[in-house]
Amino acid sequence: MEHATVRLYLFLLVAGIVAIAGVLVGLWWAPFVVGLALGIVVRRGRIGVPIGAAIGLLAWLAPLAIAHESHGLGLTATSLAAIMGFDHQPAVPLALTLLLGTLLGVTGAWLGASSRGVVTSVRSGT
Amino acid sequence: MFVTAETAVAERPAVQVASASRRRGSRLPSLNLLAATLVSAAVLYAALFPVGPLPALGPAFNPITGAWTMAADAQVTDRTFRLAGLQQPVKVLLEQDGTAHLTAQTDHDLFLATGYVHAKFRLFQMDLMRRQGEGRLSQIVGKAALDSDRFELQLGLLRTAEAEWNALAADDEAHAALLAYAQGVNDRIAEAESMHQLDAMFTLLGYQPRPWSPIDSLVVKGDMTQTLNFTDTPLVMALLNKSLGADLASEWFPILPPNAQSPYDLGPYSNRSLAPIEAPGLVSDAEAASANALLDRLEALPPGLIAKGGASNNWAVGGAKSSSGGALLAGDPHLHLTLPAIWFQLTMDSPRYHAAGVSIPGTPVVLIGHNEHIAWSLTDAQNQQTFFYQEHEDSTHSGQYLWNGTWRRYQTVNYDVPVAGGPTQHLAVKLSVHGPVISERGQTTSVWWAGNVPSQDLRVLLDIDRSRSWQEFRDALRGWYSPTHNFVYADERGNIGLISAGYYPQVAKGRPWLPMPGTGEYDIIGTIPFDDIPQAYNPPANVIWSANQRQVTKDYPYYIGTASNFFNPGYRANEIHRVLSQPGKLSASDMQALQTDTRDYLASEIVPVLLKSLSSEHLNATEASAVALLNDWDFRMETGSVAASVWWYFWGWYLTETFNPWWKSRAVKVGMGEVWDALGQDLEMWTLADPNNRAFSAPGIGSRTAGDALRKSFRQLIADLVKMLGPNLRSWTYGRVHKRTLENLADVAGLNYGPRADRGDANTPLAAGGYPSTEGPSWRMVVDWGSHTFQSIYPGGQSENPASGWYTNHVDTWWAGRLNPMLSADQASTAAGVRAWSMRP
Repeated sequence: MEHATVRLYLFLLVAGIVAIAGVLVGLWWAPFVVGLALGIVVRRGRIGVPIGAAIGLLAWLAPLAIAHESHGLGLTATSLAAIMGFDHQPAVPLALTLLLGTLLGVTGAWLGASSRGVVTSVRSGT
Repeated sequence: MFVTAETAVAERPAVQVASASRRRGSRLPSLNLLAATLVSAAVLYAALFPVGPLPALGPAFNPITGAWTMAADAQVTDRTFRLAGLQQPVKVLLEQDGTAHLTAQTDHDLFLATGYVHAKFRLFQMDLMRRQGEGRLSQIVGKAALDSDRFELQLGLLRTAEAEWNALAADDEAHAALLAYAQGVNDRIAEAESMHQLDAMFTLLGYQPRPWSPIDSLVVKGDMTQTLNFTDTPLVMALLNKSLGADLASEWFPILPPNAQSPYDLGPYSNRSLAPIEAPGLVSDAEAASANALLDRLEALPPGLIAKGGASNNWAVGGAKSSSGGALLAGDPHLHLTLPAIWFQLTMDSPRYHAAGVSIPGTPVVLIGHNEHIAWSLTDAQNQQTFFYQEHEDSTHSGQYLWNGTWRRYQTVNYDVPVAGGPTQHLAVKLSVHGPVISERGQTTSVWWAGNVPSQDLRVLLDIDRSRSWQEFRDALRGWYSPTHNFVYADERGNIGLISAGYYPQVAKGRPWLPMPGTGEYDIIGTIPFDDIPQAYNPPANVIWSANQRQVTKDYPYYIGTASNFFNPGYRANEIHRVLSQPGKLSASDMQALQTDTRDYLASEIVPVLLKSLSSEHLNATEASAVALLNDWDFRMETGSVAASVWWYFWGWYLTETFNPWWKSRAVKVGMGEVWDALGQDLEMWTLADPNNRAFSAPGIGSRTAGDALRKSFRQLIADLVKMLGPNLRSWTYGRVHKRTLENLADVAGLNYGPRADRGDANTPLAAGGYPSTEGPSWRMVVDWGSHTFQSIYPGGQSENPASGWYTNHVDTWWAGRLNPMLSADQASTAAGVRAWSMRP
């Protein structure tokens, strides 16, 4: 495996860990920041943006999975669905929560990648 | 490459295309950045800021600190932790069902720990209750709550609570209890914030609770007073008087009940300072217009702010009539049934307090329960505590009103009302000598309300919690002002008693059941002396009861309110009296059975008359089947009963058949539902004893009797039920048409319990009026001093967290009419599944 590829994988791993750790300490916006960095660093936007989405999803999913393992989230999801007006559809708040995490990751990565694109475009004089 | 003219010509377009593509290519990164920026901004905005009804989504759904934390909050485990302000260690045991047992070494610590435990399980409820009373709901829910906030600030629960707090001496035990309680609540707020365990509703509404203060506790007590006895009845009466005429209004809505009731205090009565009551007179156009405007405003307020008649039961049986040999006591206050419930069950033990029962979250006392020597429960006494005054003003005295011959300036209190998502509103509240001005449409109307008289009711409750005898219990109640309650009592020595404690305002002159002139002559001049208020102790029959009925006979010399709407028609009291008065001894299980008694006393009176009126009629098959079912009916409103459905609908049809023509012909502006009970009492008596009353011959109907109206109502009812429920009469079960719902306090319909088929109606001891019924027995308690057993249940659970197993865990037991044992702290310590908290200073 090429060094560049290894470096990329390592970077992605660290980014994922930072995003999850950030959310675990209560920084819900961590996926956005990590996604932003990812978009800037990873040269290929077509890779960076979906990876940003995946990191956002994982970063918000991991704490929920831990909470579900220790407390069970079924009643909580049902209650939140009721509060939100989606009676007896506990999947709705869960889906919305994960969508938000994903959106934070994907928008961060997209913003980073597009910023990089502009800089590259200016440098290349096109 | 050699380029010819041809090729050059031929290639020109290609060159142009490449050039255009580069230009577009050079714009693409910028467009991409612009799009990314816009979408990111939108996502971040929705994550950071509330949008419309949505909260800021980031913090709200943050997996670690957001609404999902209600899962962690729902877990209750053994804990040892420090609590700021404690003097000594405190032990809290939580039974498997959530019932809390607090044992403290000082009284101060007991109240502090109570505050902590209340806030741990009910902080959002407490915050809602104080916000409601303090006019601060708009701050969290927006302009939808502005009318409620304006009304509350005008009425003045907050002003009264502040006055009560300021009047409390620093060495008063209520002062110390309130301070310690507030400290406990604030300890929990700090802990919940640091552990991200605030109730999800705080997170979703996007606010943090402000610190709790003693004044908040007094406001919560004021909320209950308002719900139970701030009435609009004088306004209703003014409109009835105007539209029906003084003669019909006084005949149909009399001061004394027209029907046979079961007062518990039979006299003899003493008469120390009789206040005169004027004969009914006509309400003027201006008075009626003013009353109408104010009534419209009050009717538009959210339910629960205006008392609409109470429904609670309590009774006691003396040791001589008890099978255990000890006194028995039963109590079931009927309130709006909410999730979480109004009640929190606990035992409170300290050197001077050993009370068990239910408390209202936000207050540091057991309100209904027992200690080592006595047990008590309460029902609403229903006497008139709200009086409306129409202030005399004129254009030459701007901002003033005439009182006792002199022009006085209104006092003004200014409030700012913060509104979520909108500008802060300003409110200036005018105060006359009678109280706050609550309407300036038409005539300026102010209200004198006993709940606005600063009281030391909290100290009374503390004294009750420590009472050891009837004497101490009664002495404590000398200081009780409002709401007036029927406090029932039973003690370990076999004694029983009942006293309807509170203020019974008396006016110098006038018609207090209508709005009165505010010029001074009609003012409140005092209250009935304590020794003259309704009360009884160890009555000869060895039974005593209250169910919101008028407590005294027609010989009672004081005005305490009119029959219509202030007091219950008395059917529950009659049924309770009937059961308790039967020969033989009574046991705790008899008390339990009576609490869930579904026999409709009114039906037992009227159905035989109805059947008699139909006896010579030619009936169709369905009508005949309905008659057969009514003939065999035991008057019990059970879910499987078809006869119960027929009766339930029939009474409504009969009332409408009799009174609707009058309402139409006289253009009565008050809905019949407002005075349903009062009209029902009239109809009951006319059906039983005055079948030729002129009310049956309404304008446009012609001459007829009660029998005619009964028959017409029955036939019409059966025809309508066939249309509504189908031709198969056997399927018309009561459970199909009568359901009950426990409503979520935050109005989240998805967190309600029900609607579920349920038994009972408004007239049965197991009260379940309305459809779907949302009020009823909010707590049932049965005490047997002979066997020293204490049992209880309430519909709901100890926790307000819907993800908790303690949100609705008591409901099924309550629904089935069963009771749970009320354990002492010692008994709970050895119970299965108990969890222990060790609180350290």
